[in-house]
Order: sequence, then structure tokens, then C-alpha cells
Amino acid sequence: MQTLEVKPADGGPAKWAVSVTGLTREYVTRNFFGGASKKTWALSGVDFQVAPGELFGLIGPNGAGKTTTIKILTTLLTPTGGEAKVFGLDVKKDLYEIRRRIGIVFGGERGLYNRVSAVDNLRYFSDLYGVDPSVARKRIPELLEVVGLADRAGEKVEKYSRGMKQRLHIAKALVHDPELIFLDEPTIGLDPAGARDIRNMVTELKRQGKTILLTTHYMFEAEELCQRIAVISKGKIVALDTPSELKNLVRDVSVIELRTYGATNEYVEALKTLPEVGRVTADLDSEVQDIRIQTPLGADLLSKVVAALPPGAKMIDRTIKEPTLEDAYLRLVEE
Amino acid sequence: MKSTEAGTGRSLSAGSRLQMAYRVFKGAFFFGRKGLVIWDSWEMWVMQIFITPIAQMGFFAFLSVYLRYPLSETQFIVIGNALQAMSFSAVFAVANITSQDKWQGTLPSTMVTPANRVALFIGRAWFQVLLSALIAAAGLLYAATIFGVSFANADYLGIAAVVMLTAIAMTTFGLLISAVGLYMRTALIVANVFLFVTLLLSGVNFPVSVLPGWLQPVSWAIPLTYGTEAVREAIAGTSLLGLLPLLGWEALDALLVMVAGYAVFAGFESLARRTGRFEEY
Amino acid sequence: MVTMDEVTPGKMTEGYLAKRVQVLKASAFLTSKLFFADPQWLIPNIIAPFIFTLVAFFLFQGQTSGPDFLLYLVLGSGLMGMWGTTIYASANSIGFDRWNGTMESTLAAPMPLSWIALGRVLFNTLQGVLTAVFILVIGLAWFRTGFAIVNPPAFLLASVATFLSLSFFGLLMTTVLLLSRKGGFITNSMEIPVYIATGTMFPVILLPIVYLPFSFLLAPTWGIDAIRLAALPGYVGLPTTYWEDIAIMVVETVAYMALAFFLFRRVEAYAKRIGTLEEY
Ligand SMILES: Nc1ncnc2c1ncn2[C@@H]1O[C@H](COP(=O)(O)OP(=O)(O)OP(=O)(O)O)[C@@H](O)[C@H]1O
Ligand SMILES: [Mg+2]
Repeated sequence: MQTLEVKPADGGPAKWAVSVTGLTREYVTRNFFGGASKKTWALSGVDFQVAPGELFGLIGPNGAGKTTTIKILTTLLTPTGGEAKVFGLDVKKDLYEIRRRIGIVFGGERGLYNRVSAVDNLRYFSDLYGVDPSVARKRIPELLEVVGLADRAGEKVEKYSRGMKQRLHIAKALVHDPELIFLDEPTIGLDPAGARDIRNMVTELKRQGKTILLTTHYMFEAEELCQRIAVISKGKIVALDTPSELKNLVRDVSVIELRTYGATNEYVEALKTLPEVGRVTADLDSEVQDIRIQTPLGADLLSKVVAALPPGAKMIDRTIKEPTLEDAYLRLVEE
Repeated sequence: MKSTEAGTGRSLSAGSRLQMAYRVFKGAFFFGRKGLVIWDSWEMWVMQIFITPIAQMGFFAFLSVYLRYPLSETQFIVIGNALQAMSFSAVFAVANITSQDKWQGTLPSTMVTPANRVALFIGRAWFQVLLSALIAAAGLLYAATIFGVSFANADYLGIAAVVMLTAIAMTTFGLLISAVGLYMRTALIVANVFLFVTLLLSGVNFPVSVLPGWLQPVSWAIPLTYGTEAVREAIAGTSLLGLLPLLGWEALDALLVMVAGYAVFAGFESLARRTGRFEEY
Repeated sequence: MVTMDEVTPGKMTEGYLAKRVQVLKASAFLTSKLFFADPQWLIPNIIAPFIFTLVAFFLFQGQTSGPDFLLYLVLGSGLMGMWGTTIYASANSIGFDRWNGTMESTLAAPMPLSWIALGRVLFNTLQGVLTAVFILVIGLAWFRTGFAIVNPPAFLLASVATFLSLSFFGLLMTTVLLLSRKGGFITNSMEIPVYIATGTMFPVILLPIVYLPFSFLLAPTWGIDAIRLAALPGYVGLPTTYWEDIAIMVVETVAYMALAFFLFRRVEAYAKRIGTLEEY
């Protein structure tokens, strides 16, 4: 996966599609009598930037603050403190300018008028966004074609499956041809094929040069799509990097599994002395031996492991388990 | 053992059926109160107990004054509306609980429970009965204080009996309407129209005898019709004993309404199961 | 199969007013679609006021006679129908989005919520006019009375002005209902007091003096008086003339409009502060 070149020094904030500094947000839940009863810090100091054309991922446990971040960036929620800019515009001041240039996809079934057709929904939203009607007349059927709903466009949305609704959500977010698209858990509750369709659309949008900020709970999805990922936990960003760099954080969890014939206790002890080897466990009681070596080096260590084998002993099988994004994620959010 | 009883729907003894119904009732009883807490607040109490009854009584009282009705007729109207004011809480609010169930999508989850339906719905409506009685009592209080209706000869025991019985009977009617409402997108519409229907048919503003003959049987199907007549008699001085025949008819009517409500509800459930659509109606 | 590249590029409507008219039209159109997708709302809008008319009819019967009184009654019922629709419809204009789950998408649009709501309210008030006409026609047919209007152009003008005034009152109500979680109860308890205060069925002069300021602040009070002045021969209502009625109504309606637009900005700011208007 390519690494994105971001050069904050030569650009300045206006060059960023999204720029967030020290962002905080507190929710006050009111009780029955209207008094303030409970306060939650949903965000406590978040910083990140998204470059134009970048596909940026936001991952984190339930309640981490992903949706809150997206709501602030889409001008639906005012920040309590800090600064959030979209295209260099302040989310608190330049609402309409920002709104015209962004599209929002919320996951789940809400957000559509179920009693009318897909076309009616798109026409309505394109009018709300002020799309020139003559352009909208062409765009809407084309978009429905792109998301694969053209043949059911006249049907009431309540008859749609979850996957179809989600594709309609995407078309809805695109009616006004936004430069930046926010997707909050776009594949939630979809079957594997439906989720793949959505991912393909996201890739396609990225290829077109759109900037995309996406949240997801599926690690492989984040890894497959995103150029950079921010891991957010309890309202704070705990890591922000490319997927491969994030995985590097947990290199020590890569494991070499050996199956040998004729390995001895001395061999196992010798393995423990090799550089950058963590825990080594072995089962030497049977005719073939299973040995597990924890090491950040992964495959690089293998030649040394083979060379250390005592004479007469043989390597029957070996597997190298590389760390996954999930390993990195779990370590980051559990810390 | 207990869990499999509920889970498999194996035939139960009468005793354990009753026990289960009681448990459901208890659960729903608290739900009924909780449901109210969710959409209630002090403003709403003010509206239900003060604004709506007084406004409605005032509207028709002023209209009768404008039309130069004699005082006795205006008082007839005021008393009728005082009792009718309970319909909002008895019918509309009861229907509201069911329709909220539908909007929030909790209807299917309610329907899949093996809970005894009668217990479930009665459990939910208990609070409405008390509230309805309270509103009617408040209405009568306004009749005496604001609208100058004389209670000098009134039989208070009789009034209390009429108010209580009518509250129960009208809440039953509310349950029937919310059962009918299950077939539609919202029960509230039916309930709302019904509020107006009682103004026309239940002897609230003019005696039932004024209505065309073919409409009169419909009037007597609504429990409130017995109530308005009985409460006027009680205020005029008829004793509880003298009211008994009228109250007897009202009770019988309420019973029939309850049976009808149950049938409508059971019908809906089987229809919904056949078509698989709980939410669409 | 069309790919994303082949989709016609977006282009925005230019002009302050053009954009707003576009939103107004879209919102009214969607509301009508939603209405026809579920015409059960016809029931409260038409049947309920009609039953009210019948109740009033039985009360009028015997006490009065003559076509003028029937016309008075039927006009009053029609206006009540319009009022009822306006009150309910404003509760449902943006409130509908709240329980339909489209509040967020609506708020996210680059257009003030007030214009979106106004589109809804306009359609709904129009529906109220149809209700009024319907009641009028049924009422006239039922009671077999003629519909001889003293001054048809004046009647039409007063009706249109009342329609607009009700729309903006509805818009004002929408803001109140968006800020309050008790929408249903507010609308239900407002209905009759407003019928009383605006003199739909009997002159407001009959009311206790403390009620009158409230009455006079409701623009439709003047509209109803103007409509009756234009329609009924020898009608005695408020001590104002037809044109005075119209003038007061216009002034008050403009005030509603200003207040509604102001409150809508507050509503939007409030929604952003608390994070949502979806749940309450
Ligand atoms: N409207 C609200 N009022 C009060 N608290 C809220 C509100 N919305 C969110 N919160 C709280 O703010 C915190 C962050 O919520 P947020 O929705 O941003 O999380 P999230 O990362 O999107 O979670 P999920 O993965 O479950 O979608 C949570 O503790 C949540 O309970
Ligand atoms: Mg979320």
C-alpha cells in the first residue's frame, strides 16, 4: 500500500481538506425537569489532518467519538473547544459553504423517506442542496445507475433491502457532486457482497479524486481502503498512521511456528539466545516437535533458526504469522 | 421447567396460566406508568386537567349563550362536556401507547412474547382509568365553580360511581380503538376522530333523542352516552340506587366492548403473522 | 453500466431567491407525495371538523333559522377545519422528519431549516383550504342552503390573506414544537382555545375581557371577521371595517414571519449545541 506524502510545512492549513486541532466536545444530558444531570466528554483533544484526495479512516470502539467527530466536521454539531476546519473554512462560521461541498453517508436504515421512491428522495435532496434542476435531471438517473438501483428507482424505498438503502444513501450523498465525503459505518449490517459493493464504490470515488473520511468497525475494510488510519479511543487519538506502520506497532506479535524432527532441548535454548527473540515455547515429548518463536523479525529470522538446527534434525513445516491490523487495534485501545 | 413452559407454548395448567398472566400484568402495569413518564411532564398535566376541559366546556357554553339558549340548557351542555373531557385521556392516550409501540418498532417484540394479551393491555391502561376519573372530577368542579352549575341536590356517591365506571368503560373503549388502530398506520387518527364523535353522539351537547333515529343505536354503543345521562341525574339528586339500571347497562356495554377489542386484536395478530408485516399497518 | 466518471458534473443554482424558491418547491412537493402515500391524514382533516360542524348544527337548529345563519355556521366550520389542519400540520412538518429519522439529513442541507419547513407548512395549509372548501360544499349540500356571497372579490382576498396568515402561524408553531418534546399535547390543547379566540363559531366580543388581547393577537381573528364581512349580508362582528381587518392581519402576519425566522435560527443553533433533534 502506498504511503501518502503529506507536507504540512509547505501548505498551511488552507491546503488541508480537513484539519482538526485540539477538538473537544462535551455532551450534557438533561434530566426530566430540564436540569443538567450528566456530562460526558465525547472528545477530549483530537488532532488530525486529511489531505485533499486522501482516503482517511477513523476506527475505534463504540462510544469512542467517531460519530461526534463526523458530526462536528459536517457542521451538525458545534465543538465545545478547539478548532475544526474543512477546506480551511471554520465549521462554526461557514456552515453553508462547507455543507455545499461535502456529502454525508450515515450507516443504518435511517435518513431516507421510506414512503416515496428513490428518485423522489434524490430529487428532494438535490433541490435542498441547490443543484441546478436541469443538471439534476441528468445526474439522478446516472447516479442511480452507478449505484445499481436504476431498475428499481421508481419503487418506494420501504420495499428496499438494507443493502439497496445503503447504496441509495451513497447516491444521496453524491447528488450535489461534493469534493469531500464522510461515511459513518457505511457497511454496517450489510452482507459480504453488499459490503463489497459499497467498498468498490468508495474506491471508485477515491480514484475520481474525492477526499473521503470513513469510519468502520471492520479492520480488514479499514486496511483495504484507507491510506491513513486514526485510532480513536475514549475521545482521544491514540495512533495515526498508514495501516502498515500501525501493524509495525505490534511486530512483536509475529510468530514463527516450526514443526521439526529431532530437535533437542539445547536447540530450544539456542533459539532463545538469538537476537530479538521473545518467548519460545516447545513441545519436545513426541517424535515431531512443535516450537513457537515470538519475534518482531518474522521471516527475517528464519535462516538463523534453520542454521541452528542440530545435525540430523529436520524441518518438517514452518508458518509465519504476521501481525494484523486487528492486533494493533486491540493493543492500542486496550492500553 | 418454568422457562420451557413459556418457550415452547406447551399447554399449561389453568393455575400457571393465571400466574403467568399476573406476571405479565405486573410488567405491563409498570410499563403503563413508565410509558406515561416518557411523554409526560407537568405542562401536560396542566393541559389535560385544566386547559382542555375548561376550553371545551367554555366553547360550547359560549356557543349556547350566543345562540340564546336558556340557562338550563347551557348547564346541560357544561355537565356533558365535563364528563366528555375524560375521553382524551381514556381514548387518545391509551391509543397513543400502542402507536408509540409501533413507531419505536417494539411492536413485534411485544407480539412475540407469550404474554397474555388481555393482561398486557389492561396492565397498560390502568393509569389512564385513574387519570380519566380525575379529569372528569375536575371538569365537574369547573362546572360548579366557573360555570355556576348548582350541586345543591347532588348525590355525591352516585356521581363518584358514574365517574369511576365511565372512566373504566371509556378506557376499555380506548383499548378497542387502539386494537382497530393496529390495522392502520396510526391509531391516533381513529382515536382523534372518536373524540369528536362522542361530542356528537354521546348526549354531551344535546340529548340523543335529537339525533336521527338510525344514529341512536350507535350512541348507545358508546359507554359515555350512559355516563352523561347518569351524571346529570346524579347532580339533579337521583340516588345511587336510582342510577343502578343505567349503570348496569353501561357496565354491560363496557364488557361487550372489551370482548370486541380482544377479538379485533387477536384478528390483527393472526393477520400480521400471516402477512409477516407488523410495522406496515 | 455507467461509471462515476460518466456522471454529469454537478452545477449549483445561482441566486439568493432562486435557491430558496427551489427549496420551497421541493419541500412542498415532497410533503404532498408523503401525504398521498398515506392519505389517512384526511380523516382528522376532513371528518373531524365536519363532525364538529354537525354538533354545531344541532345546537344552531331550533334556535335560529335562515340561510345566513347556516352560512355563518358553515363558514365557521370551514375555518375551524383550516385551523385544525394548520395546527396539526405544523406539528408534522418538521416533526415528521424527527420520527422518520431524516432530521439529520435535513439539518445537513446548505439551506436554512425555516425555508424547508415553510414548504411543508404551505402545502399543509393548502390542504387546510381544501378541507375548508370541502366542508363548505358538504355543509351547503347537507343543509340545502345557497351560497350567496355579498362581495366575492373581497371574500377571495380575505380568504387568501387568511390562508397566508395561517401558514406563517403554522411556521411559528413548528418552531415551538421543535423545541418542545410535547408536540402532540400542545397541538391537542391549543385546538379549542384557538377556535374560541378567533371567533370561528361565535363573536369574540362574548368572551371575558382578559381573553381579548390573546384574540386580537391571533391574525386569523381579523381574517375571519373580514371573510364574514365579505360574505354575509348585515353581519355585525368586530368594530373594525373590512380593510382595517385586512391591514391588522397583514401587520400581525409579518410579525409572525419575522418571529418564526428568528426562532428557526435559534432552533438550528440549539440542535447543533445539543447534538441532535432526532431523539428527545
Ligand atoms: N446526543 C448525545 N447526548 C449525550 N451523549 C452523547 C450523544 N451522542 C453521543 N454521546 C456520547 O458521546 C460519546 C461518543 O459517542 P459517538 O457516537 O461519537 O461514538 P462512536 O465512536 O461513533 O461510537 P459507535 O462506534 O458506537 O458509533 C459516547 O459516550 C456517547 O454516549
Ligand atoms: Mg458512531
